[in-house]
Amino acid sequence: MNTNSRSQEGAWARHALAHAPSYLAATALFALMAMTFADVVLRSVFNSPISAATELTRLFMAITVFSSLPVISWRGEHIVVDLLDPFVRGRAAQVRDVLIDALAGIVIFWPAIRVYELAERAKQYGDTTEYLQIPQFYIAYFIAFSTFVTALILLLRAVIRAVAPDYLATIKNA
Amino acid sequence: ADTTLVISSWAPPTHGMNAKMWPKLTKMIEEATEGRVTAEIKYKLAPPPAQFDLIQDGAADLTWIFHGYNPGRFVATQLIELPGYQGSAEAASVAYWRAYEKYLKSANEHRGVKLVALHTHGPGQLHSSTKVTELDQIKGMKLRLGGGVSGAVGDALGATGIRVPAPKVYETLASNAADGVMMPMEGKKGFKLTEVAQHSYVMPGGFYRGSFALIMNQEKFESLSKADQDALMTVFGEPASRMAGQVWDEIDAIGVEATESTADNSLNTASEADRKAYDAIAAPIIEAAIKAATDKGVDAKAAVEFIASDMAAN
Amino acid sequence: MLAASLGFAAVLVLVMLRMPIAIAMGLVGIIGYAMETSMRAAISMGSRLIIDTSQDYGLSVVPLFILMGLFVNKGGLSRELYQVSYVFLGHLRGGLAMATIVACGGFSAICGSSLATAATMSKVAMPQMRKFGYSDGLSTASIAAGGTLGILIPPSVILVIYGLLTETSIGKLFIAGVIPGFIGILFYLAAVRYTVFRDPKSGPAGERSSWRDRMAALRDVWAVLGLFVLVIGGLYGLLDFWPLHLTFSPTEAAGMGAAGAFLIALSRKTLNFKAIREVLFETARTTASLFAVLIGAWIFSNFVNFAGLPQALVELVTGWGVSPMVVLLMILAIYIILGCVFESLSMLLLTVPVFFPLVTSLGFDPIWFGIVVVVVTEISLITPPVGLNVFVLKGVVRDVSTATIFAGVTPFWIVDILRLALLVFVPWLVLVLPNSM
Ligand code: NA
Ligand code: NA
Repeated sequence: MNTNSRSQEGAWARHALAHAPSYLAATALFALMAMTFADVVLRSVFNSPISAATELTRLFMAITVFSSLPVISWRGEHIVVDLLDPFVRGRAAQVRDVLIDALAGIVIFWPAIRVYELAERAKQYGDTTEYLQIPQFYIAYFIAFSTFVTALILLLRAVIRAVAPDYLATIKNA
Repeated sequence: ADTTLVISSWAPPTHGMNAKMWPKLTKMIEEATEGRVTAEIKYKLAPPPAQFDLIQDGAADLTWIFHGYNPGRFVATQLIELPGYQGSAEAASVAYWRAYEKYLKSANEHRGVKLVALHTHGPGQLHSSTKVTELDQIKGMKLRLGGGVSGAVGDALGATGIRVPAPKVYETLASNAADGVMMPMEGKKGFKLTEVAQHSYVMPGGFYRGSFALIMNQEKFESLSKADQDALMTVFGEPASRMAGQVWDEIDAIGVEATESTADNSLNTASEADRKAYDAIAAPIIEAAIKAATDKGVDAKAAVEFIASDMAAN
Repeated sequence: MLAASLGFAAVLVLVMLRMPIAIAMGLVGIIGYAMETSMRAAISMGSRLIIDTSQDYGLSVVPLFILMGLFVNKGGLSRELYQVSYVFLGHLRGGLAMATIVACGGFSAICGSSLATAATMSKVAMPQMRKFGYSDGLSTASIAAGGTLGILIPPSVILVIYGLLTETSIGKLFIAGVIPGFIGILFYLAAVRYTVFRDPKSGPAGERSSWRDRMAALRDVWAVLGLFVLVIGGLYGLLDFWPLHLTFSPTEAAGMGAAGAFLIALSRKTLNFKAIREVLFETARTTASLFAVLIGAWIFSNFVNFAGLPQALVELVTGWGVSPMVVLLMILAIYIILGCVFESLSMLLLTVPVFFPLVTSLGFDPIWFGIVVVVVTEISLITPPVGLNVFVLKGVVRDVSTATIFAGVTPFWIVDILRLALLVFVPWLVLVLPNSM
């Protein structure tokens, strides 16, 4: 049996790991808000806007979206049509959800791989951002990685749905 | 026609490139291949920076790219954007292609696709809501600038750069988030600048020029019959570049006319003294671009001289 | 035309099987595109859109407006808005429901989403209406319907996306929504009056407030007003005077609104670290789910575009030789039917790339069409069987049946149809403001 403190430590580590992408997204989002505010104030009052504001906006958005993509996939928060929910229940719903999650997971591997290849290409051509000259491939690597994790998560969900369907209901409250 | 090439275009259908340039190129292709090859335009398949990849992987057959949208990738192409060249977009585009054949090719910046043409837009000028008649007045202005050389020009003139994509220019100016914008005269009509940037300050030869390429998917080109490939090669290169430059001159003229025919608009040409002053301001920008291109293995100094003399001869 | 129709059918089947809309549209789009080109081309196209859409500068408005709405909510501004409407209207029969409508309208002016408007106001207005013995049908319906104003009265996330899809001015779209939004408020007030006229017990009068209370409530809404003036005033260049010269692009207006709402909530000590984290997490997740759908929809619409559906549709319709107005009414009927089933954003993303070229080729104004589409989309939020605003209410007020809410909402969507007809036949109401810009 675990000691109490060890299990708490474990819980904290699990929390940190599970929420790391959310914290990253939240930081980027807050930075986007703060930078836009600072940019407008600096421009309006001091006539000196942040030159790199546009490309930083793009960067913060990419981080926000692609940090969150695996999270919403894990939590089942994609936008879906739940029109038939009252009619498809129990076993039928379970089979449907396993198949759909598995299919979704499998098809996302292809764009994940291609995004990686496009990142390699951007690296080879020397693509950078305009002002800060941040290499484009870093951003594309990140997007490829996130897409790849999303694919894995959807497959994992399919497996969990198949063997322990009740577990998924607990995720949202975690 | 046996083959219909798909053109991917990112500007609105009313833009001169879509309304005039592509139809002309299509006609040239049809005539050269005796109707066996034609083309049609699809709009907004992807944003501008994605177009090169789209063509490289065959998601469309033809497109036009603005080199400034892929910073880092295109360095040698900046040599045509430099201030100081005198002449029309047609003259610049022809010189551009010739310089490419002679000098720029070695940088191999368009690898992975078939290069169809190289061209520039008309001379880039300053359009603003307050009247500018002297170079000094630009200092401290908030200007929307494009990438590449135009950004460096704005900095050198002491303007504060505001970066927004071209379709957002009207709103940016209408809300006074920027005092002005640097664009070719075409923008007075194409981006409705007659309403929000009434006054144009014109530097003969332009503050800069924008650089574009028309590109084609390599495999698509090779999949055509030998006869069709040969026919296309009579269109591609200098003829297509010249035609695209002509179109920019044409739509620039429309912009000038719109400015002259709108009551509260004005056209102000830089004085002789300001032209000299600008040459001095531009010198370090030219030097930096030459150095960057030289580092990429291009005989940049010779290329710049070649472009200037070729344009002067035209 | 056939390929595209099959594609639409495939997407419908997949989403009915509960596949995420983003993935269904992306998958069908890539397969369809591959049939026109090659698999390599199609996957590259999709992958580039994955890379580029998340970095689209214009789309940064979306997370920022969502963030603003959530901070506004944390700052308690919705309560103050309701209070001020209540002190002026509460003593009338149905007055609390009318106060709810007006407060929803006010909240819409600082929130870009209908769902957020409905969710927020339900927490504020529902307990009050219960306290005064309002029927569940009227109280839930007035919130569900009032909430739909969120995407018509600026700011509006849906109008931003319409603007980006069609390359129309976001500033003009926003200002075009103002008069239709006011008409919406008036019509909903009429729907409340009608409901209490039919059944006086459904909405008894509340207490009459003293003028002292009224003045006090007015003083409390300064923050809401200030935020509205900042965002909308800055967007339309009305704050461009010494010493600030505050003028914003849409992205900046959204950023200033979010930062302003954040600072207001902070100054009211309603924000601790946990609350800030909650708001940021929720905004990030909502943003990601919206962007996923945007990417999927763009991929799908590329396929539809490649398959030549928009042109085929234009040719087909011109071949019929019917008047443009008949075509438009048919399109609106399709929207109302789709709206029964589809979520608002997905519906917009699926249909606009197909209908927009047709509608503009028939000579209709793009700004006007945007507003009309948004009004139809609003209707979809409260019509059975899938009315998202109704479900939001159901989530907050668990002991009321969906059937009761849908029944209560009926007079509201009937006036919505009337408003739609008014805007269709009198386009001036939509266009007078943007055209005077
Ligand atoms: Na709103
Ligand atoms: Na509905």
